[in-house]
Amino acid sequence: MGFFDKLAKWLGLKKKDANVIVVGLDNSGKTTIINHLKPKETKSHDIVPTIGFTVEKFTSSALSITAFDMSGQGRYRNLWEHYYTECQGIIFVIDSSDKLRMVVAKEELDQLLNHPKISNRRIPILFFANKMDVREAISSVKVSSLLQLEQIENMKNKPWHICASNALTGEGLMEGVEWISDQLRDIIDGSK
Amino acid sequence: MSTVDEKQEPPIEQLSHGNEKWLNAYYDPVASLYTLTQCVALSDIQADGDWKLVIADLGTGSYDMKLKVYKGTNVMSENAIIDLPTGVVTFYMDVNEPRTPAVAVASGPYIYIYKNLHPYFKFTLPTLDVNPVELDLWNQVKEEKINIFVLREMLEGMRAEGAVLTVRSLRFLQLQDVPDCEAFANIYKHTPLRRQTVITCLATMKKSLADEDAISCLVIGTESKSIYVLDPEAFTVLTTIDLPSVPVFLSVTGLYDVEYRIVVACRNGCIYTLKSNYNLKRGSSDYLKHCIELNSQPVGLERINKTIYVGTMDETMHCFTSKGKKVWTVKLPASITTMETMDYPSKGFKGVILALNNCQVHLYKEKYLVNIISTEDIVTGLKFGRFGREDATLVMTTRGGGLLIKILKRNATFEEKDISAGPPAAQNTKLNVPKKTKLFVDQTMRERENAVSMHRTFQRDLYLLRLNTAREYAKSLENSMNPISSDPMEPLKLNATVQGIGPTFKLTVNLQNTSLNQASSNLIITFQYDEKLYVFKKAYLQVPLLVPGLNYAFDTLVECQSDKGISDNVKVFVLKEGKVYPL
Repeated sequence: MGFFDKLAKWLGLKKKDANVIVVGLDNSGKTTIINHLKPKETKSHDIVPTIGFTVEKFTSSALSITAFDMSGQGRYRNLWEHYYTECQGIIFVIDSSDKLRMVVAKEELDQLLNHPKISNRRIPILFFANKMDVREAISSVKVSSLLQLEQIENMKNKPWHICASNALTGEGLMEGVEWISDQLRDIIDGSK
Repeated sequence: MSTVDEKQEPPIEQLSHGNEKWLNAYYDPVASLYTLTQCVALSDIQADGDWKLVIADLGTGSYDMKLKVYKGTNVMSENAIIDLPTGVVTFYMDVNEPRTPAVAVASGPYIYIYKNLHPYFKFTLPTLDVNPVELDLWNQVKEEKINIFVLREMLEGMRAEGAVLTVRSLRFLQLQDVPDCEAFANIYKHTPLRRQTVITCLATMKKSLADEDAISCLVIGTESKSIYVLDPEAFTVLTTIDLPSVPVFLSVTGLYDVEYRIVVACRNGCIYTLKSNYNLKRGSSDYLKHCIELNSQPVGLERINKTIYVGTMDETMHCFTSKGKKVWTVKLPASITTMETMDYPSKGFKGVILALNNCQVHLYKEKYLVNIISTEDIVTGLKFGRFGREDATLVMTTRGGGLLIKILKRNATFEEKDISAGPPAAQNTKLNVPKKTKLFVDQTMRERENAVSMHRTFQRDLYLLRLNTAREYAKSLENSMNPISSDPMEPLKLNATVQGIGPTFKLTVNLQNTSLNQASSNLIITFQYDEKLYVFKKAYLQVPLLVPGLNYAFDTLVECQSDKGISDNVKVFVLKEGKVYPL
């Protein structure tokens, strides 16, 4: 790290980096959420189903965040675990209107939490109960009870937070991102 | 070759792990859905990538019949159906964009086509010829030449003779009261008499392209023992095939314009294979050659690639090749209610799902039971496929009107052979058999060439052995040398053993009285031996009274005098006091 970088950091001008992994079932709105958080000039208009994964960068008030936007399709879900080691935070996106697949989301979440690379680390998890605008959508409280977030014992070293969101308008996104960047900053500062 | 597996208790503990392979997505025990496998379909009917569940609800069987569409767990739309539905399929009937499939509901003699969840078209099956006598009778009623009593009598006579009557006549004969009969005749006598049949089964067949969203023909089986193939655009009958019995299950492969094959299970317990390249004109009976006769009535027919799976009423599932050869039979623990194919291409898994009368759903991969799902109620409707956005969903409806939806876990795999019956694994391991040596080969050759002389030599030696044995036995009888007394008055058994390694031995004489109730007394044991070699401590043993059946042991020590390692026989005698000859 160059001298100017150090200086800038010391002065608080340059933000610290953090990696987060964005996971969730297909069609839950992961890419749309990331797209909304990106700076205006890099926003895309058409959101198509992600193949494999894409890497996006955006900034919150405290951090510069690199997001690994994973594809949620069944055949790509086994790619998620390859990025568990690098990530410092997890964003788990849920389609609140898809009641049928809530069990699938829970199954994937359980697999993620029981993964050896995740289970014994302190990693903040942010849940977006997305698609709140859809008529059949259920509340974030209902989502957290369906996913049994309170009961997961692993949550002891996993601070978590659930936000109702609408990725089309951006409602609720900033609240969640501020929470996770606070958490990430604590972890990064703590590790130094 | 066909094999019948013995009815075996399924290893429940092992298979209930199978329930961990499925996620319980939804369970509504009171969904009030009364339906059968034939009336359930999964399709992307709005062309939005969110597949819907289309169910024709049988209601109570006489009213409340509905076509229900589920989007996720919610009912999205309901359409009333006038008559009892017998089949639901979805198919593409045009090439318009967006590619929305049509829903076809078979009900009575009609097929109702729905597009975008709205009624679109009604197809009526071609009418059949009316019995001329029956037609004449109704005409006479219309012209009031005969009254209803004559009509009734004549119709009853016709029915007794086995004539096929129209629905109107049958209904008329069902009526009991005279006023009812009169009113019925008066209402209906002016409408023309028609004989219509009823659809029993419904399937689809791609017309000229094998694509997922290619235009499909409808294949219909009817109560009048025929099969119709309908053109999807003009709704005209393309092909008619007559069968010897009423078709109940259809399985179609191929393309109508290229080559196709229809496997039909009929109510007479036969399965016919109809091929397009046969002469399928009316009256032709080429297809009768390809007939599989079942032992029992079929309750389900599924086809995976080139094998046909048939569930029958005698609690068995049979598997046949497309040529009609039986491959295997599996006996099930309960009777089958319905069958469904599980085709999961992304895992390359194809199996048959069977719903049983004991509230279980069994999954078979070929003849191996790989999974059991236990349910709270008897499952009557099964469908596996894409639902919502999930590829591997199993939809089940129960007898009590419940709806169950299970999703296969992403990383679930079905182990094929671990829980199956059949030969144990050890039977398949190859034994380490040593290579044949030259000696072995030569010996085999010699045995092959001289088989007869070898056999003769062996027989001769065997006879000699027997002769020698007989001689020795006779000799020993003469000398009283056998260990069993030949005197009928003193039945005794003698047995002598020598213990020790020398020079001192212990000689034990076991004496048993083998008579039933006669005790022996006044017996003496003595020995004959070479006095130069052995010294007996007690050469004379007094035997007490011998109780029948008991074993008495007498022992004495013997010392060998020689140090040259030579030995000699020692004879044991049992004597009776006052007699010269040993017993």
